Amino acid sequence: MSFTEKTASLSKGSVKYHVGGEGRPILYLHSGGGIRVTQPVLDLAENHTVFMMVTPGFDGTDYLDGVDTMEGMAELAKEFIDSEIGEKCDLIGYSFGGWVACWLAVLHGDLVDQIILQAPAGFRGKDAPGLPTDPAEFVKVMYAHPEKIPSEDKPEDVLKHNREAMGHYHSGAPMDNALVARLGEIENLVLVVHGTEDGAIPKESMQLLKSKLNRSHLVYVYDAAHGLEIDQPERVSLLVNDFLARGEGFLVNWGDEAAGFEAVSKA
Amino acid sequence: MEFAYFHLMPYTASPETTKDWPVPNHRFDPEIGHELYTTYIDNMAYAEECGFDWVGCNEHHMSPFGMMANPNIIGASLIQRTKKIKIAMVGNLIPLLNPLRVAEEYAMLDVLSGGRLIAGMFRGIPHEYVAYNVSPSESYDRLLEATQLIIKAWTEPEPFGWEGEFYQYRAVSIWPRPIQKPHPRIIMSGSSKRSAEIAGQFGAMFGIAQIKTMENARELIDAYKNSAREHGWEPKPSDILVGLSLAISEDADEAKEMLTGGRKFFAEVLGGGIRTAQQLVLHKSRYYDDEMKGKFIDARKAAMISVDDLIEAGTALCGTPEQVVEQLRYVESQLGHGVTNINMKTGNIPDEAITAGMKMFQERVMPAFQNGR
Repeated sequence: MSFTEKTASLSKGSVKYHVGGEGRPILYLHSGGGIRVTQPVLDLAENHTVFMMVTPGFDGTDYLDGVDTMEGMAELAKEFIDSEIGEKCDLIGYSFGGWVACWLAVLHGDLVDQIILQAPAGFRGKDAPGLPTDPAEFVKVMYAHPEKIPSEDKPEDVLKHNREAMGHYHSGAPMDNALVARLGEIENLVLVVHGTEDGAIPKESMQLLKSKLNRSHLVYVYDAAHGLEIDQPERVSLLVNDFLARGEGFLVNWGDEAAGFEAVSKA
Repeated sequence: MEFAYFHLMPYTASPETTKDWPVPNHRFDPEIGHELYTTYIDNMAYAEECGFDWVGCNEHHMSPFGMMANPNIIGASLIQRTKKIKIAMVGNLIPLLNPLRVAEEYAMLDVLSGGRLIAGMFRGIPHEYVAYNVSPSESYDRLLEATQLIIKAWTEPEPFGWEGEFYQYRAVSIWPRPIQKPHPRIIMSGSSKRSAEIAGQFGAMFGIAQIKTMENARELIDAYKNSAREHGWEPKPSDILVGLSLAISEDADEAKEMLTGGRKFFAEVLGGGIRTAQQLVLHKSRYYDDEMKGKFIDARKAAMISVDDLIEAGTALCGTPEQVVEQLRYVESQLGHGVTNINMKTGNIPDEAITAGMKMFQERVMPAFQNGR
């Protein structure tokens, strides 16, 4: 499965994105690490057309004038859906992208169907520890299995720039109280996914989110940290694809025939 | 020092020696079993009257070794018969069970007892894996994952799912929740170095059900303490439980005779079948690492040594009350533990002698260890 890099011309300027796969469209909003076509993304592309929009300022791209808030990013994502996808789609937001996804759901929930929030940022309590600046310590916090990080991963300077780019869109406050106050407006079916070893986003953030969202499910992925697509790709794929294929029916164990994306691909 | 009263609930009415696994259950007479349950539950409830701080139940399968296939049932019975004593499940064999069922039943026990549960997360001995058709090679990994899941089930305020290696649940929200906060006190087995390290990792109490040698017990306790420190906490003596067999009488020779006879019955009748299963596991899995294989063989040899040697080594308490005080002081000085787990029903030692011994232990041994109680 290969992904193609494309450019969308939007009202605020050009936005790069990667697209791959075939099937029902899904918009993937990346984490602070930028675009990564991980194994779960490849698995997703078996049954979906996956649109991975590059947040302006990430992965060597330029910022766009007038797009410098989380709400602004959500509006940009809305325009991206209108322009490049052209129909209602499912939505995945991972960490920083999960924060944007929540704003998108609040502001334009009618444009998306089911939503998956993977360890979304934006809901950290004031007592939550900050992320370490030392690269080695940072890796320890982010991954339960750093040995699984692909050798072709991005250079550290790009990753560092990406992390800094997040600051372009928010003040650094750990809790987006304006967003929390509006979470109850989201009517979409939401799956919240969190790693049991996540050292970046505390479980209390997920519990808060679960308590505020009207139609949501929270699932912990065992032995995964914040980089859960790297730490436990099979578990994440199974969960995400089963949820996307079956909606709320993913709660039911159908045995072998419900083995998530495998079942879908056989159908 | 705190004292726990532990009972295996052995089926003693079928004295034939056997090496069969599983032990044929035609040897179990349900009518006699009914009488034994009554006797044993009376005896365990009596532990409260005799000043014990805990009463301990445990899980074993498919042999006369123990009649507590589900110790939580016995725990529930004891809760109705007692007021203050802690109800210690030492334990449920977590890798063999549905973790959510354990979380639910333990929460029930905690609520039923008003917060008296001590929740054992034990790995179990090899033959249990044969009994429940679970790979012994997975024992540690299942223990780790299931224990995390159980704690999650007790402490999560919102419904949640779990996508794990061995366990997958999409919607969990147990009723009832436990009384103790953040959750019931946990005890884990320290029968191997890795088990001891896991106990330290979880911030749990640590228990050696039956010490083999003093040196081995010290090594395990050190492993536990080192692991705890690596995980940012310092165990207290009250976090460490050490198990010892006890035979007590006004006549030291009578006590030795009791323990000798009980050990012989235990080795030849109660333990025959399970040793066969243990051998199967030893030869065909990674359940024991090389270090443990050696220790298992050492333990087999230990089963053959005399009661005098056991006393000398500090691995059993036997004799007059005064001698038992001296023996226990020695063990305490060597291991620095804060909870002694007393097993008086070794093999077929008569229940009347045990009841008398419990009172004697309360009146003439416990007072010597009142500090800190």
